[in-house]
Amino acid sequence: MNFQHTEEHQLIRAGVREFCGKFVDPVANEIDQEPRFPSEIVKKLAEQDWLGIPYPVQYGGAGSDYMSYIIVVEELSRSCATTGFTLECHTSLACYPIFKFGTEDQKQKFLTPLCRGDMLGAFALTEAGAGTDAAAATTAAVPDGDGWVLNGSKIFISNAPVAGMIIVFAMTDKSKGTKGLSAFIVPAGSPGLRIGKHLNKMGIRGSLTAEVLLQDCRIAKENLLGQMGQGFKIAMTTLDGGRIGIAAQALGIAQAALDESIRYAKERVQFGKPIASLQAIQWMIADMATEVEASRFLTYHAAWCCDQGASYSKEAAIAKLFASETAARQTNRAVQIHGGIGYIKDQKVERLYRDAKITEIYEGTSEVMRMVIAGSLVR
Amino acid sequence: MLNIITCFKCVIDEADLKVDAATKKLLFGRAGYKISTYDRHAIEEAICLRERYGASVTAVTVAPPSAKKCLKDVLSRGPDSAYFVNDPSFSELDPLQTSSILAAAIRGHMRFDLIICGEGSDDLYAQQVGPALAERLEIPCTTCVGKLAYTEDKKHVIAERRLDDGIETVLMPLPVLVSVLPGINTPRIPTLKEVLNAAKKMIFNLALEELGDIQGPYSRTVKVVAADTDRRGIRFAADEEGIRSAVNALSKEGVLLRVL
Repeated sequence: MNFQHTEEHQLIRAGVREFCGKFVDPVANEIDQEPRFPSEIVKKLAEQDWLGIPYPVQYGGAGSDYMSYIIVVEELSRSCATTGFTLECHTSLACYPIFKFGTEDQKQKFLTPLCRGDMLGAFALTEAGAGTDAAAATTAAVPDGDGWVLNGSKIFISNAPVAGMIIVFAMTDKSKGTKGLSAFIVPAGSPGLRIGKHLNKMGIRGSLTAEVLLQDCRIAKENLLGQMGQGFKIAMTTLDGGRIGIAAQALGIAQAALDESIRYAKERVQFGKPIASLQAIQWMIADMATEVEASRFLTYHAAWCCDQGASYSKEAAIAKLFASETAARQTNRAVQIHGGIGYIKDQKVERLYRDAKITEIYEGTSEVMRMVIAGSLVR
Repeated sequence: MLNIITCFKCVIDEADLKVDAATKKLLFGRAGYKISTYDRHAIEEAICLRERYGASVTAVTVAPPSAKKCLKDVLSRGPDSAYFVNDPSFSELDPLQTSSILAAAIRGHMRFDLIICGEGSDDLYAQQVGPALAERLEIPCTTCVGKLAYTEDKKHVIAERRLDDGIETVLMPLPVLVSVLPGINTPRIPTLKEVLNAAKKMIFNLALEELGDIQGPYSRTVKVVAADTDRRGIRFAADEEGIRSAVNALSKEGVLLRVL
């Protein structure tokens, strides 16, 4: 077993850390507080070749591996969870399905500008009545002449307001349940496509989350992604990979909580000595470090499985479940170590505490992760 | 086309250094390596010149074999190839030895019109390797460069030297050596493609026996201990009186020479 990252992975991490120190750390608080979407940072992510890391150079990607991508998500999230997630959602949820299921034409037309950072992508599966239960989707697509007409509405769609294209899941045959779901590439500006109101979230506040409304939305025939009825498989395969990305995001948040806790515990003096010298604090820090390290290895292991071409569905679910719950626990401990000041806005740990929660929910809740893990064991 | 050589040093990352509280000894146990900060600016300047005028850029370092880990880092920052002049005995070289080894390696193996060095290293900051190297190669040298331009038709460089009492502008025909200050540029962060591309670039290993006569050492490190930076804990108010007493306190310490 090899527990060491390659020289390239180490250089990539060093590069992201330098990038964050220069461009992300100084504005992370402002992104959360205003809140605002960090478009100037996204532009720089593209310049660093970070918007299509695991995809081939011929499609505008960096031609690197999944591990490199995971490292970038982790380090960006350590600085700003909004930025880490914006990249994750774009790379895992928008680029991947086109890379994996798209035709050559679709890859040229959509994957290439996505990977180059000429546009961001979004992924629209969730509906008001269909979250985990994708088969309950009511958005429908019907063939009409030389195209498709889509009707319905999607909610909680990240990146939608800034996306150049959205992957929309719609029923093409409701009677077939999940086998009647199909995936479509809906370019921004398509007639009948409207982006609803931006939602005011608890955490990752700079990330744009909105409704996607489709009213007689017309798209070209060739914008069907994969085969008719393949939508559920496309969604599930995409989310499997995305979960490693969310695990990395959670890992970055948890690491940041640990970093902040150690720094504060050494500075804060009570009873004439830094609180870091108190066993109560030391034990919290030791537990945090232990769980963060466990998250790290589960996350890297899932990414490694992906790079080896091995199956990774269970590994991704385990990593996401553990890393997201770890992030929630560690950010809670970090606020506790900070005491009163940790409850005040402008403190990084207060932001981390709110940012961590979503990792237990999106791209499959902790409960779904347990279903996936158990399903692969007792089946 | 210009042939540019940029010299760099692989140093211990000071952020990882720990100090033994009792003995004041530096603990290197978990320390990683990095490219000396000033040298990153030297490399960046070489790459900027290549972008503007076209050039071949070669990076060179003199170090023990353990410094190998800095080579991909350097190549990801743009140089076309790197010379790794290494020997286990190269771990604590003094500046005159380093310049002697560099001169032998450059004279025997590389072509150059312009050599760019960092003004000093993060660890020793002796500011000697650049000028000593120029002396050994018998080429002119200018230090403390904060701005550098190249005139293609006349084949000379114009360097602005940031000195204590002003800026001096010098014009020098090639070949020449310059040592640069951090203000000269902002080193870019390597893109992911540049990081991956670094593995495809040539690294030339040069061993001690390929260099001929090396001089020195002229000095020996006897002991390294951490510097004490005790705080006095004196508070000054942000008003005229406070500023006056701050200045007086500093002059009493001998930090300031004149009293207001």
